[in-house]
Amino acid sequence: MTDEHLPDRPSGDDRRGFLKNTATVAMAGGLVAGYGSFVAIAGRFLYPAHHDNGQWQFVTTTDRLQMGHSLAFITPSGAKVVVARQGEGDEAENFIALSSVCPHLGCQVHWEAFRNRFFCPCHNGVFDPQGVAIAGPPAAAGQRLKRFALMVQDGLLFIQVPTETVAGPESETQTA
Amino acid sequence: MSVKAKQVIIAVLGLVFLASLILVQWMEVIRRREEAGLAPHRVAIPVSSMSCVKCHQQSSPGIIDHWKGSTHAVKGVGCVECHQAQKDDVDAFDHYGATIATIVTPRDCSRCHKTEFTEFVNSHHALAGNILASLDNRLAETVEGARVPFNPHSPTPGRDDATMVNGMASVNVGCKQCHGSKVALEASDGSLITVDELKPDENGKPTNPEAVAAVRRDADGRPLLHESSWPNTGIGRINLDGSRGSCSACHSRHDFSPRRARQPENCGKCHLGPDHPQKEIYEESKHGVAYRDLREHMNLNAHEWVLGKDYTQAPTCATCHMSGHSRNGGRVTHDPGERISWTNRPPVSLVMDTDAEGRVIKETDPAKRREQIASSWQEKREAMKQVCLHCHTKNYVNAFYKQYDDFVINYNEKFAKPGQKIMAGLREQKLITPAQFDEEIEWTWFYLWHHEGRRARHGASMMAPDYAHWHGMYEVAERFYMELIPQAREIAEHAAESGQSDQAAAVLALIDEVLARPEHQWFEQEKKAREGSNEAANDSADNASE
Amino acid sequence: MGRVAEWFAERVPISGLELRELTNEPVPNHLKRWWFCLGGTPAYLFVVQIFTGILLAFYYQPAPNTAYESVRFITEDAAFGWYLRSLHKWGATLMIAAVILHQMRVYFTAAYRRPRELNWVIGMCLLMATLLTGFTGYSLVFEQLSYWGATVAANISDAVPVVGHVAKRMLLAGDAYNALTLPRFYILHAAVLPTTIILLLVVHISFIRLHGITELDDGAASQEAGHYDFFPDHLLTEIIIGLVLMILLSVLATVLPAMMGPKADPLVTPEEIKPEWFFYVSFRWLKLFSLSFAVLSTGFIIGAMFLWPWIDAALRKITRNEDISVYIGILATLTLIGLTVWEALATH
Repeated sequence: MTDEHLPDRPSGDDRRGFLKNTATVAMAGGLVAGYGSFVAIAGRFLYPAHHDNGQWQFVTTTDRLQMGHSLAFITPSGAKVVVARQGEGDEAENFIALSSVCPHLGCQVHWEAFRNRFFCPCHNGVFDPQGVAIAGPPAAAGQRLKRFALMVQDGLLFIQVPTETVAGPESETQTA
Repeated sequence: MSVKAKQVIIAVLGLVFLASLILVQWMEVIRRREEAGLAPHRVAIPVSSMSCVKCHQQSSPGIIDHWKGSTHAVKGVGCVECHQAQKDDVDAFDHYGATIATIVTPRDCSRCHKTEFTEFVNSHHALAGNILASLDNRLAETVEGARVPFNPHSPTPGRDDATMVNGMASVNVGCKQCHGSKVALEASDGSLITVDELKPDENGKPTNPEAVAAVRRDADGRPLLHESSWPNTGIGRINLDGSRGSCSACHSRHDFSPRRARQPENCGKCHLGPDHPQKEIYEESKHGVAYRDLREHMNLNAHEWVLGKDYTQAPTCATCHMSGHSRNGGRVTHDPGERISWTNRPPVSLVMDTDAEGRVIKETDPAKRREQIASSWQEKREAMKQVCLHCHTKNYVNAFYKQYDDFVINYNEKFAKPGQKIMAGLREQKLITPAQFDEEIEWTWFYLWHHEGRRARHGASMMAPDYAHWHGMYEVAERFYMELIPQAREIAEHAAESGQSDQAAAVLALIDEVLARPEHQWFEQEKKAREGSNEAANDSADNASE
Repeated sequence: MGRVAEWFAERVPISGLELRELTNEPVPNHLKRWWFCLGGTPAYLFVVQIFTGILLAFYYQPAPNTAYESVRFITEDAAFGWYLRSLHKWGATLMIAAVILHQMRVYFTAAYRRPRELNWVIGMCLLMATLLTGFTGYSLVFEQLSYWGATVAANISDAVPVVGHVAKRMLLAGDAYNALTLPRFYILHAAVLPTTIILLLVVHISFIRLHGITELDDGAASQEAGHYDFFPDHLLTEIIIGLVLMILLSVLATVLPAMMGPKADPLVTPEEIKPEWFFYVSFRWLKLFSLSFAVLSTGFIIGAMFLWPWIDAALRKITRNEDISVYIGILATLTLIGLTVWEALATH
């Protein structure tokens, strides 16, 4: 606190001055420890508790997404995600989910099946099937399309996407 | 107090304050840990169903709220995922830009729930709709109502519109709501279009374009479902796409709560009453008593609800007949017949040897029988015993099954088979009409096996002594000795008087043969002895007169 | 180092010495007894309330369909939300208790007498503002008890002659609790009343500085007559009090955290309505007498409290008894405690 004002009264005795300084430092330490951690708690309170790392959402059944095909999944907050099959088989690694937002300036990319690439018409950005930029401004900047996690359970394909919207999450107590 | 002392006090108090905040931090950590599993799931409305929810939140909030409480909602399965239809589905219609159908059939559910669908389709539940064409149904269709609409015989005040009586009312409200309806669309000529007319292929698409063209639609192009078949969530519903059943019979829409399906009340919609009081029997049994007491501890909300892992307090219907348990790796079955070794449904109980299609084998020849068996009753019993063994010892379970088997066989042999034989004899000798329920003895026999006999057997199967005895075998015996036998004799004697003496003699001989068996001898032994001496006296008198 | 100090000295042209001169009022020795430091306690708690209140306001949403849920969010979801909300709740309780104790100390030591009458009046205004803040804050939770408490309070206000109806409509933003009521409570609780309290406090403390702290003239105090420095000596005392209060609040918040009752339901009146404890007195008073009498008498008593410095002077003149106020004070205190305890124990 205002301890720097305290010890400037001249004192003849060095020992007394030292003791006094020790007491002052101890006091300052106690105050900082107490109020400091209180302020830390306040900061923790203000820092958003909930991380929207996403929630697993149903996309489709794996048998309805054929090799070479893709579908557009729209997240609850409105972002478009391209989900495509890359290999035969029912495991998650046979699928890929890429954001269709170009990392360059936010335009909408689309899949060009005949060229096996994603293309952004705004500035001719080109991405390979893995979403890595191979031409155009995004390639120059070493960017890639944002990738979302996928999971397969009993032949059902799930995607992990953020689910929070401005309208707020609807907290429901599940029945089971 | 000196300034220095105060400063030291402040230092100490500051540290005490810090300590209290550490306590706060510790409580926060504990709280977080406790709430980790309890955090409510967040429901995000899938974009595909956004407009559905917007509108139906106003028009039918119950549907939306139930859905929001479902696992479907948490996982992003919205309205469209289940109600979606293709243009070539007969009941599809355009609803604000989406092609949907009103009725979601097991085929629709099977898009995601394949295993459950297969198990269910092979279960006896899926065949429940067959009763609609059976003789049993004569009761509701003819006896209780009428197969054809008929004119009211006097006006209903205030209801001038009641110009015709729907004789099928009892069928629609009674039978079909448990057994399931045959879903019907209205045709423009007033007839009904069902699966029989549509002849769907293996994908559920109709193959009869004429029937499809004949479907009547309202101004919005929505096909009209006939009220005789919808609303209906009977478990054996016969759907337009050829699939059988209704998942929402047990998993009520629109929250499809597994918790609800785990509770006996769910089964109690149909499995109760005078003819098969399974629910009441369960409630009377120690199983039901324990459940009532301990249901709070039964973890009914658990994700998988595995007996022996998530709970052990008491079994519900689902526990024994369907749910997964620690001895089978937690595998749930949607065929409740998988663990049942006797079927007590027919007049004479049969063991549950089933064929490849899940039907009970009636073949009597042992060799042929062996050929047909796809799943034997012994396998089914063994599956059930695995459940029992979670709470009972092997000896206990085996001895229980001995008690149960003896009970069923006693019923079969002493009353069911003789009763069946006498009824068959009467019909064979044409002393009663082929029509059901037009003679008193037919009602007597029906009560005996369909109500009292089943009560007895079900009571024995699920450990409810009062149902086994007083509501069961006691009434069976009384019905047999005091009604069936006297009524059969009366019919025979009546026939003898009207000149059908051969037929009468055949039936009487049948009855005497039954009653002469050791287990029935007690009944007329003394009477016979007395009559015998009288007859002997009469005979000697007759002889004397000659 | 020196340059930094210079830089500051140039822009903040005040030296440590001058600062000490400005703030350092000689403090009479009797303030070494803790009893006399009660005035600083509510001020300190007020700062705690402002601090925690601002934090809570980050998450609180004052509308009927969001208020309860946002309080639930603070209590259950936000990190340390339960703790900060509990601090705020216990801070309010202790602050009101401290205000009342401070007022009793002033009363029984007759510190309100000439020339400090006006500061007593300002103190009374502070008491009223504090009670109102407590009341509006309690209503913000939007649980059954606070909802019905507000409804009852508004209807009591309705019984006040002439201005009552207008006051009620002003308070509720309508004839009954409605969608606009909560925002009104909120802005009163979080902006209008705290600002009022701050302004009144400035005047209150300025008056103390202008008059100087009351010198006790009874025998006990004169023995320890003399003065000591406000700075740093008395400031350290206040810091100790502040830390003790923080520890006390922390312990209360962890041992008895603020809970949540059932959500407000305008269709169902709870079996038992109880206001916050500091309104028990008036609540019991209302049950004892007819509404109009209770309201009028309450108004009369509050009026008398405001004017007590002058009433006291008149009474002393009439009765020629210097201690008449003390006797009346003891009687009033016992009555207040009695009514509060009665209400706390009674179920209806």
